[in-house]
Order: sequence, then structure tokens, then C-alpha cells
Amino acid sequence: MQEQKLTSNIPWGMIGLIAVISLIGLLGVYSATYSSRGVSSIFYKQLMWIGIGMVIMFAMLIPNYHTIGRYAYTLYWISVAMLLLVMLIGRTGMGAQRWLALGPIAFQPSELAKLAVALSLARFFSSNPRPGGYRLTDLGWPAAMVALPLVMVLKQPDLGTAMMLLITSSIIVIVAGLRVRSIIIIAIAGITLASSVFLIPPVKNTLWGSLKPYQQKRIKAFIDPASDSLGSGYHANQSRIAVGSGRVTGKGFGQGTQSQLAFLPERHTDFIFAVIAEERGLIGAGFLIMLYLALLLYGIEAAKNAKDRLGALMASGVVSLLAVYFFINIGMAVGVAPVVGVPLPLASYGGTAIITTFLSLGLLLNIHSKRFMLFY
Amino acid sequence: MQDTSPADIQKRLPFLAGLVIFFVVVLFVRLWFLQVVNGAYYYDLAENNQIRPIKIRPPRGVIYDRHGRPIVENVLTFDISLVPEDAPDLEETIRRLGALVRIDARSIRQALADAAPIRMKYEPVKIKEEVGWEDVARVEAHQDSLPGVIVEPEHRRHYPYGGLASHQLGYVGKVTQEQRKKDQTELGLLTGQGGLEKTYDALLRGASGRRMIQINSSGRKVKDLGIEDPKPGTDLYLTIDLNVQLAAEEALGTRAGAVVAMDPNTGEILALVSHPTFDPNLFPRGISPKDWNSLMNHPSHPLYNRAIQSVYPPGSTFKIVTGLAALESGIVKPDDKVTCKGFIRHGKHTFRCWKRAGHGTLSFHRGLVESCDVYFYTIGERVGFEAVANYAKNLGLGTLTGVPLMDEKAGLIPTAEWKLKRTKAPWYVGDTYISSIGQGFLQVSPIQSAQMIGAVANGGFYYTPKLLKSTRNRVTGSVKEFPPEKKARFLFNPKVLEEMRSALIGVTSEPGGTGWGSRTEFATVAGKTGTAQVVEQKDASRKYAGKLDDHAWFVAYAPAEHPQIAVAVIVEHGGHGGAAAAPVAKKVFEEYFRSAGTKTDQ
Repeated sequence: MQEQKLTSNIPWGMIGLIAVISLIGLLGVYSATYSSRGVSSIFYKQLMWIGIGMVIMFAMLIPNYHTIGRYAYTLYWISVAMLLLVMLIGRTGMGAQRWLALGPIAFQPSELAKLAVALSLARFFSSNPRPGGYRLTDLGWPAAMVALPLVMVLKQPDLGTAMMLLITSSIIVIVAGLRVRSIIIIAIAGITLASSVFLIPPVKNTLWGSLKPYQQKRIKAFIDPASDSLGSGYHANQSRIAVGSGRVTGKGFGQGTQSQLAFLPERHTDFIFAVIAEERGLIGAGFLIMLYLALLLYGIEAAKNAKDRLGALMASGVVSLLAVYFFINIGMAVGVAPVVGVPLPLASYGGTAIITTFLSLGLLLNIHSKRFMLFY
Repeated sequence: MQDTSPADIQKRLPFLAGLVIFFVVVLFVRLWFLQVVNGAYYYDLAENNQIRPIKIRPPRGVIYDRHGRPIVENVLTFDISLVPEDAPDLEETIRRLGALVRIDARSIRQALADAAPIRMKYEPVKIKEEVGWEDVARVEAHQDSLPGVIVEPEHRRHYPYGGLASHQLGYVGKVTQEQRKKDQTELGLLTGQGGLEKTYDALLRGASGRRMIQINSSGRKVKDLGIEDPKPGTDLYLTIDLNVQLAAEEALGTRAGAVVAMDPNTGEILALVSHPTFDPNLFPRGISPKDWNSLMNHPSHPLYNRAIQSVYPPGSTFKIVTGLAALESGIVKPDDKVTCKGFIRHGKHTFRCWKRAGHGTLSFHRGLVESCDVYFYTIGERVGFEAVANYAKNLGLGTLTGVPLMDEKAGLIPTAEWKLKRTKAPWYVGDTYISSIGQGFLQVSPIQSAQMIGAVANGGFYYTPKLLKSTRNRVTGSVKEFPPEKKARFLFNPKVLEEMRSALIGVTSEPGGTGWGSRTEFATVAGKTGTAQVVEQKDASRKYAGKLDDHAWFVAYAPAEHPQIAVAVIVEHGGHGGAAAAPVAKKVFEEYFRSAGTKTDQ
């Protein structure tokens, strides 16, 4: 069969969505970092990262996704090695050691690790099919695959990444196909474990005690933000005020008092959504959420039309990852998820996150564009 | 890679789609709740009830002497500041505030304009500093009509002894714009700008705390939300002894010069004086341009720390070095006789002894006691100045001592090579002569001289001069001691050292000795006088009458039998070392031995 032209299958609608979301995010960064000294260099850096990201995204269309799938484990080990390096020589920022200095660029390996784990799980499940669903005993390798980086990011300590790894992997395993019995066993085990953690004092105390004080505070503040409106609850509270005060129509671009007056910490990174919601209101924030929804559904469509297990699993893996990013980050800003430091894909400032996101989206585009091909 | 149909996976995709839609619905409902249902409430919170962090400045570390007597303290004062963002009608606030605390509106506007480029939003701008209780009370009473005006408590740096030890203590000043860029210090924070205040600034500074207050739309505080205590700076315990320092300051009096007293067994500096001095109290509140100019343009440079930054020819104190070098080489024996007729000739040149009539025939001991120039010309020539120069360098002269203060000067020990490069002229015998008696190109600082005599006193140990004895964290109470840092061990030939020490005692005790002025009933003093010739310089300060007088030196240690204190004194244009400098050392020794009997080290 003749190969169709590459461009004819490119989902331009999806690219359009990516461009619009990036633009909204970029304007948010502009507004969040604009000061009396003028436009911040952060804005230009973000612009640069998005430019580089776009190039990478299109470059991802060139290889066959099977080639990419073959390198999933390589990518996995690279990111594990980098996480190890972070533990040894990493740079500490905001209380946790997450950064790796590469010359002038600081690189955050945990961002790459999330994608690597998702792709490796896709690779594993596609090459080890189990008609009738996986049993628990089949999950040894995938569990180890998730556990290694999970332990490493917990050491940093990076609760957000650990949480994301766990949730994303669970979704991927379910999509890959788990026997109903296994799901029930895991659910019962999970509930038992969770309740024993909360109900048996010695277990609870040991676990609670192993958390850093700031982590304990954040968890407490998530459960009851009013208890600590100055300390750890400060972020959550100020973010909620920012979002709420935007009301339906928003205060206008550059007019958000919460954001502009620096009440809101981390406003160009983790709390970019709060800035957008304050300045654009429900209309703008809701529109942005709808754009993300459309993007994620496009991704699911790519999985649905994929012609093989690898394509379907990689696409679902990437979609799960992006969906969890999206939910936890916005959830953090509006107060339905704890403040754990997870970026909003395409919008939050940060080179590593932007590049990884575009890498993932490029992969989705690739799978989407190859859906009619039968031979590779 | 075995691949089967993706059909079973695609069958489960609705689960993924359902999850995504569930996420969106949850977020949407929450957004609706925040922005529509409670939008007005949050809008009010954002607009009217804003939370404002107010910086609480930490008290800077207190500086004590070695016995725990405070020499730099903090005094709590109050400043009146303005947060322009909190004043809805800024002009009105400025007008009212000006009338209330008697400051004209123009200077308030000026203060705001000056701060504008470097301040962040909501950072208070100081309008009137160190106000009295009346002003504080007035502002507090009219708080309602003065939105944006706050009273800020501040720990003001206070130097209770004024100019005492000001060169080593240094001073603090407002953080400069460059410093602010470099380490993000806060506006209005005082940072060390000189001396130990600068060297140990990171320790002394502490960290600000903050108080969170809720303010309403007119900038008034409605609620205190909580407080995060500031971390006070670390206290320093210096090695200096306040009594000895005071005695040295007093002994030097109004004359320009320097005194360095140290414990030769540890390198701890007991007193470090540089005169003229300045009052560091001028700086913390921002020095006035007038005061600054008068300090900068004063002909005798009061900001200069003469003890470490001024270098002078060592004069006859250098005969200690020449003598040690000659005796240790074995070329000169202690009993070798030299006859002084009051001068020595070399070719067409005549080199005079300070005693025109001549000293007659003398050996090493009397040569040093009477400080005979001809004797040292002769032995210097015999051993060669290169050997003397090497010896001097080994004794730490002409090199930085590493005292923890800024801008220490190294001085110079000349060599033939150096001279050729510098003056394009070879090294003459005449250069050896005048260098052997400590004149010519030689330049040493008072602290180097103290270290040199200290090494003779302790038998050749070199310690980095130390000013910090210990630190104490005011919160935890934990104390950190700083033990002596041994830098080098210089091996003296014991016989030569004995010969030298006996001659140094002779200087202060034998007939004809030049250092009688330092004698005291408290202990036997061993020392050496010196007079550094002042070559007239053609700078503007020529009009000073004292300019042509020589600098008077004295280096000594006591008690001679088991030395506890080594001292170097220089009195600029003081004339003869024995007459001008030795009595200063005597006062230092006396105070040291007097207070050593009553005070114990902590």
C-alpha cells in the first residue's frame, strides 16, 4: 500500500488547540511577571522555550512511533540515571533537591521521568499482551518500573511527582487491561492499607513522622486551609482568593490585584491558572479548561484509531499523564488538590516541563497521523 | 515485537475519556463555586482585606570584648515610614504627616522618589528616623487620618565608646543598591560596610521575620494574623581586651599612629589602635555628606586603618632581623668586634651612625642595645642583604598576615631584582647599608612588626592574627570557639635566639639602652626602638609642621622570661622611638598586667 503524504494526516485542529493554549499561557506569564521595570526576561525565556518546544513537537512527527517505543526503556534508564545524579549533585530549590545544572540550564529530571515511565509501561504492556486481562502476578515488572523512580523522587522529596507517577501508572494499567478480580483485590488492599495508615496510631505516626515538616504542614493545610492562612495555607488561600475574585468576567489583563501585587506566590509557575482565572474570570478560565478537554479528547481519539497496541497504549499513556497534570495543577489553584508543585502543561513557566509536554504532544500527533498506515 | 490487535485497549478508552470529563466537571463546578457563587466574597477579600507581610528586622549581633564587655550594641528606635500604595489620597497623607511630625511635604516626596527605583511594592519608605516618643504617640493617635503611615521599630547600631577601636569594629550603613542586587538584602537593612562589621556581616546580620496583618481598603490594620520571629544576628566575642585597648588609645592620644598588642602564644589581638580615629556612630543613620567629606578629605586620613593598611620603613626595629640573620648564618659571631667612629665610608659615600661621636668598639650585644648603625652596616654587608631579606620574609615581614580585616597592605622587602626592575639601577652596597638598619625601600605594617616580635617572644611560632575569639548564637545559646591558627613554625637557633633576647632586655635595662621609656615595675620588658626616616613628600599635606619629623617605632614583649604580650607601636612624626613610642608600649604593658590580675578569660 502506498504511503500517504505526511502532511495530509496531521491533525491540524489539535495543533491549533496547542497553539491557542500556549498563547493563553504565555500571556498569563507576561502578566504575572510584568513589573514596574517592564517586561520580565522570564516572558522571553518562556517564549523561547515554547518556540523550541514547537520545533521538537514537529520533529517528533518524523520518526516512526515504533522507533520511539523501542527507545522507551533507554529513556527510562536515562531518566533514572539523572534522578540518581540529582540525588548526588543536584541543586536545591525551594526546600527540595530537584534540579540538575547543565551549564547555564537547570534541568528537572523528574519531569522527564514521568513521561519515560508512561512510555515504558506502554511498551511493556504492548509486548506482553494477556488476552482476558492481567493478573496481579503479571504486574511485577511494571510495579518495579514505577517503584524505582517513585522512591527516588520521594527522596528529593517531591511529593507531587510521586503522586503523579502513582495515579498515571494506575490509569495506564487499567487501560492496558486488568482482570476485574485484580482490580477488586487492589481496591480492597488499598482501602485496608489507607485505613490502617489513618486508624492505627503507630503506623500513622511512623509515616507521618517520615514526612518533612513542610510536607506535613501542606497536607494539614489542604485538609483545613483556614487553620494556617499565613504559613502553608498561604499559597492555597491566596490562590483561591485570586480565582474567586476574578468572578465571571475577570479583572482584565494585567489588572489582577492578587497576581500583580505579589500576594500570590509562584504565580508564573505553579499558580499560573490562578493568574488567568483572576484576570479573565470564569469565561476565560472555563474556556481554557474546555481547550484542555478538547486536546485530551483528541489524544484519546488518536489512541482509538491507532492500528496497534503500542500506538494505542502510548497515546493513552500520554493522555493520562497530561490529564493528571492538568487536574492536579488546576485543582491546586482552586483548592481541590493539595499544593504539591505540579506545572500546568503548556502554560506554567519552566523549560523542562514545556519541552517534555511538547515531546508528549509530538508523540500524540505522530500516532494520530499514522492511523491509516498499515505498514511501517 | 509481537503485536496483537489494539481492540481490547480501545474498548477501555471510554474509561479514560470518562475520567477526563470527570476531571473537567469537578474543576468546572469548583470554579463556578469560587467565581460565581462566592465571587463577590472573594472579590471583597482581594480588594479590601488584603494580607500584608510587615518585615520585622532582626537585631544585629552584639560585639563583646574578650571578657564579655559589650563594645557594639543595639538601641531600639522608632522610624516613621510611609507605604504609598496604602494611601488612597497620597498627597493628603503627605500633607497631614508633614504637619504632624514637622517635615515639609517636599522632602517627603523626595524620599519617596529616591526609594522608587529600588523598592518593591508595599515596601515602606522611611520618612523620619529615630523619632522621639512624642512623634510616635502623635502618629499612633492620628492613625485613622494617616492611611499608609506606619511606625517601624528598628535596632539602631550603637558604638558606646565612639571612636574606640573603630578601625577594627568598622561600621554599618544602609544596604547599597549593588549589595541589594547581589544578595537580595532588604531595603533599609543595615549591613557591615567596614571592619569586622563587614568581615563577619553574614554572622552578625540575622534574618528578618515578618508579621502578617490584614488591612482594609484605607490601609488600616484590622487584624493581626500572626508573627514569624526574626532570627537575631550571632554575637561576637572579640580577642581584644577593652582595658588594654583603652590604655593604648589613651597612650597614643591625639598623635597619628598605630598600636598592635597581641598574645604571642595564640595570635589573639589584645588591642588594635589606629589614630586619628572616627566615630562609627556617624554611619548607621546614613552619614551626612558634610561628615563624609570631612572624613574623606582630612589630611591625616582618619578612615585609614594604620595598623594594617599603612606601611612604614621599620627603622632600627629591623636590626632584630639583620642581627638574627647574621648570627644564624654563622658568618658573624656574637663576639665579633666592630669599631664605630660615627660613620663608615664606601667609595665616595659616607654613611653616618646616629651617634655622630661614634660608639667605639662593640660586639653584637652592645651593638643592639645602643642601636649602633655602623655595627649593623658592617654585619649586613658581611652576610649580604639577600640573606637578610629572606630572613625577613620568613619572619612574615612584607607579606599579608591574614588578619580578618579588609584591604591589608603587604609592604615590601626589597631585593636586587626588585630594585633593578623598579629603578633600573643595580643594588649598591649603600642599599645594603641603609636596608640593614631598616631604612630605604623597606616597608612594613605595624601588625607585621607585632607578629615579628611575637615570634621572637614565643620562639618562632606564627599564628594568623585573630580578632574573633568565639561566637554565640543568641537563640540556641550555642557557643563556637575559634582556636588559634598556627600558620608556620620558624626554627631559630636556640643560642642565637638567647643572644637576641638578652640584647632586647638590655635595650630597656642597660645603661646606654635606647628603650628605657618602656620600663615598668610590673614586668621585665624586652624590646627595640626604631626611628623611620621620613622622606619629604611633595603632596598637598606639606603644610603640616610635623611632617618632617621621623616616625617613632617600638616593638617589645613582656615579661621577658615568659612572654604574654607582644606590642608594636608607631607614632607618626613622633621623633625618636625611645622617647615617643616606648612610653606608649609601657602604658599598654602596665594596663595588661594590672587587669590580668583581676580579670579571667571567659
